[in-house]
Amino acid sequence: MKWSQSRWVLGLILVSLSLSSVQAQEKGRVSLVLGTKGSPFYQSLQCGAMARADELGLDLSVSAPNRFAADSQIPVINAVAATQPDVAVIVPTDMQALVMPVRQLAQRGSQIITVDQTLADTSLVETQILTDNEEGGRMAARQMAELLADGGKVLVITQPPGSIAQDARTQGFEAQLGTQAGFDYLGAQYQANDPQKAAEIVTSTLSAHPDLAGIFATNDQGAIGAVTGLRQAGALGRVKMIAYDAASAEVAALKNGAIDALIAQDPAQEGRVAMDSAAALINGETLPATTLTDIVVLTADDPAQADQYEYQADCL
Amino acid sequence: MTTTTAEAPTRRDTGDLLFRTLTGGWIFLLLIVLLSIFLVLRPEQFGSAYNVQQLTINAAIFLVLAVGQTYVIISAGIDLSVGSVLVFSSVVSSKLMLYLAGDGGTSFGTTDAGWGIILVGVAAAVLAGMAWGLLNGFLIAVARIPALIVTLGTMGMALGGAQILSDGVDVRAMPERLVNDIGAGSIAGIPVLVLIAALCVVVAGIVLHKTRYGLQVFAVGSHIEAARRSGIAVNRRLISVYALSGAMAGIAAVMANARFGTTTINGHVMDNLTTISAVVLGGTSLFGGAGSVFGTVVGVFIPIILLNGFVIMGIPPFWQTVAMGAVLILAVWVDQLKRRLRKRG
Repeated sequence: MKWSQSRWVLGLILVSLSLSSVQAQEKGRVSLVLGTKGSPFYQSLQCGAMARADELGLDLSVSAPNRFAADSQIPVINAVAATQPDVAVIVPTDMQALVMPVRQLAQRGSQIITVDQTLADTSLVETQILTDNEEGGRMAARQMAELLADGGKVLVITQPPGSIAQDARTQGFEAQLGTQAGFDYLGAQYQANDPQKAAEIVTSTLSAHPDLAGIFATNDQGAIGAVTGLRQAGALGRVKMIAYDAASAEVAALKNGAIDALIAQDPAQEGRVAMDSAAALINGETLPATTLTDIVVLTADDPAQADQYEYQADCL
Repeated sequence: MTTTTAEAPTRRDTGDLLFRTLTGGWIFLLLIVLLSIFLVLRPEQFGSAYNVQQLTINAAIFLVLAVGQTYVIISAGIDLSVGSVLVFSSVVSSKLMLYLAGDGGTSFGTTDAGWGIILVGVAAAVLAGMAWGLLNGFLIAVARIPALIVTLGTMGMALGGAQILSDGVDVRAMPERLVNDIGAGSIAGIPVLVLIAALCVVVAGIVLHKTRYGLQVFAVGSHIEAARRSGIAVNRRLISVYALSGAMAGIAAVMANARFGTTTINGHVMDNLTTISAVVLGGTSLFGGAGSVFGTVVGVFIPIILLNGFVIMGIPPFWQTVAMGAVLILAVWVDQLKRRLRKRG
């Protein structure tokens, strides 16, 4: 048994050696560290990046932590730092805790690009690729006013405080809603990427406020749970539903009328822009401090546009 | 007990000794094999001083948590609350240090709190952790509620408590000395976090394997009624074991604050399962009564080295998850085989 085991190990070593010799070409080496595994958003970003990296002739490797949390992501970043890529494209999962690991990455000779999220210390970062989350929240509030001409009671379902992007969406929404007459804001309720919790929030809010008019969910998990809660309470369609992101489940809900509008980002575009920026850095160009990518409002009237923006991992 | 293998080698023949080293040290062999594979494949990346240092730093916090978990599991219990107690202690400690430094308003960056304030913060973290541990131990030993339920309950209570204290927003202002000298500092080239972890491991190992207290912990986990009848204060031992696990989580909380430069309320969700699987990987029986601190150290390093090596080699993320799960099952299966063989022969 010992003997066959060691032969197996030897075989593994040989296979991997042959793989590694293929990699060792003179191309720009780029590492992409996503926010978490298995999220349609980041997979779509990954697909956009992989396609563009192919076109540009970059040697791209992608990794991701198990959870969207600093303690889960830092070991991954450390391992990437050990490979010393020319450019590291990072989705920092915490704006402060990731500063030190990213600084080490930079000290080991990698140029840094951040995508989707930001760092507290941007002096290390060549460019940040972002969307305007606060504007996205305002767009949601304006859309709510279009759906509810007479206003009404509105609930927000978001992540617990601390996620900069989702906090900004909520703030933008609250600020814009405050300027619109007739709306009665019920405040924000928290779910931590847990559709079950979001469903409970919706059903119990409906018990307290049967005349609830609208819900804004700041991410896909909240949206999926909220739709479940509305269906459970028989309030689908009666309560207007706007959600952030365009995960497949959300787009399906948009098409069958459970969701009235989606505020979609374009993760594939973020991935492409990240690779363009990486190539530019390798060629010695300098980049603007921030590059904003698009956000759009998707409605059921335009299913073709919804399909186009749906977060899809079409390359995996 | 069963794990102090080095006691009577003369009585057995050499074949038995070889058998024991091969099986008993199986998980250690796996670690060596993993290290060699990655070293052969990516020598200059995996074997770099930088990478080795990062590996040990990434292991440091888990080592401290897993040592406490080892005591608990050897006593035939389980502690699901370690991650939440870590978060709670880190919030208590950082809030207190922020208050003492008189720098309440800032949400980012560092404070210039001195070592006195940091010491108070450390004490607060350890005491807060120990308090949760004492509660766990009391409910398990005296109120006779199953450990799984008690620590599942306190897992939620501690996390909720941390969120209440902090309004769910991470405390961002840490003392600069804590972050620079402990989180990022090193003594004679060895990171301070690693030194702290090593100290905890060595002390805990000596206490567990070389003192009467340690022997009694094994006895309680082996057969609680027999331990009671032979005059061991079973309840006090059980309570002390959970208090130790809580205190270790408090130490780990200080280390986490120092390392991340912020509390990490939304992290540490899987710390309980990470430490339990490390302890089990290290050959400690989930039914109590057998195990070792050294095994746990090996068990902590295996997933960390796997993750590091996989990322360096560019293995796709989903396959990493599959491989790590498979290694856990494989290791425990071999461990079971080993036990069965030993029972028979």
